[in-house]
Amino acid sequence: MTNKIMSKKLLMICGLSATLFASATYADSKIKGTGGVSSIDGSSGGGLIPWATLGSYAMDNEIGATGFITRAEINDFELAVAGVSANYHDRIEVSLARQKFTIKANDASISQDKIGLKVKLAGDVIYGAMPQISAGLVYSKLRDPATAVAVGADSVKGNEIYLSGAKVWLNSIANRTAMLNINARYSEANQYGLLGFGGDDQDKKLQWELAAALFITRSVAIGFEYRQKPDNLSALTEQAAQDIFIAWFPNKNFSVTAAWLDLGEIAGSEKQTGTYLSIQGAF
Amino acid sequence: MSKITSIIRCCQYSRHCLFAALLIPISACVSNNDTNLFQDLGGHAGVAQITDNFIMEIANDEQIIDYFADSNVQRFREKIEEHFCAIADGPCEYTGDTMVQVHAGMNIGEADFNAVVDNLIVAMDKAEIPIAAQNRLLARLAPLRPEIINQ
Repeated sequence: MTNKIMSKKLLMICGLSATLFASATYADSKIKGTGGVSSIDGSSGGGLIPWATLGSYAMDNEIGATGFITRAEINDFELAVAGVSANYHDRIEVSLARQKFTIKANDASISQDKIGLKVKLAGDVIYGAMPQISAGLVYSKLRDPATAVAVGADSVKGNEIYLSGAKVWLNSIANRTAMLNINARYSEANQYGLLGFGGDDQDKKLQWELAAALFITRSVAIGFEYRQKPDNLSALTEQAAQDIFIAWFPNKNFSVTAAWLDLGEIAGSEKQTGTYLSIQGAF
Repeated sequence: MSKITSIIRCCQYSRHCLFAALLIPISACVSNNDTNLFQDLGGHAGVAQITDNFIMEIANDEQIIDYFADSNVQRFREKIEEHFCAIADGPCEYTGDTMVQVHAGMNIGEADFNAVVDNLIVAMDKAEIPIAAQNRLLARLAPLRPEIINQ
């Protein structure tokens, strides 16, 4: 039932963005790459974390949309994600993503849905002294709640809010364009929500996230991300996640991101590292 | 220790201190090019080529060509070339109107501004200007944005 409703919602959003898009100015007004790529939550960002940027190349009088698929393969698990986002006037971004997390040992999987809302509050990512500041809300709901319940999570759904700041320097290190992004996230999510929210060993809720990127050329960016995570479950240890990435923007409609992940301990399996590949279409 | 000293020294010359400090392993402030930008853009010939390409890109851009409908192309070419030359520390003096005067009443939005920046990047690419020199020019032009948009 939930599945059907979600699919309907997804269709509606797709239809809505397609309709809006058809009647709007073609969204290609940002400098290439500055719309970011799609994070695992579906919102514009890097990979593991959202950034203050809004998806697609839409600017103040334009509407844009993105769609993406992502696959991460680490030692004992796999994560597959698909999602879409719509951007209204580079002010409001709505995103949807479905994640499927598979435990390789027994081929069991946990799926969850993410709905995100991000609003640009102030500044511009490239111009002026003020960084671009955005606020975001992510609602997560597990479609397979049994594991979260079994490991002692308080809830199988939850909200996270974050404040994000990003700044681009056109002429930075080695005369290359660089970006720095910092997020403060208020979250009770266990392993991105895949193991539910909250627990019997409640950690602090304020978490910090950081990303830095450098455009080697106009089409290729390299960088890293760091994401603090709460450790709320007495039965399991959760650690910070990080990645180093390379993103390729052959044009404004298509990007490919590859990364090396270090996700720390997940559900009792230590040192989970592996690869990440994501492709995004932007319109 | 010497690394820290060099970063502190580097930071005295760079606004991007925080970023440089965060990227210590590849912090390369010292490699930032401080040669004459006008020369690195190819001197008079290079700047003339960028200007010609820039005008062609604008002319072919439906999104923004209307802003230039009443422009005198010859004067536009002359003043843009002069402006690029002067802002790149070349042997020129900009004799045109201020950016606010030029763009008054045009009500240029963010999207259109970005479209023109994109045109300039393509113009420089086609003139085979190295990315480092491109970024140095863009960084010097970027502060003009508040004098150009929403006038």
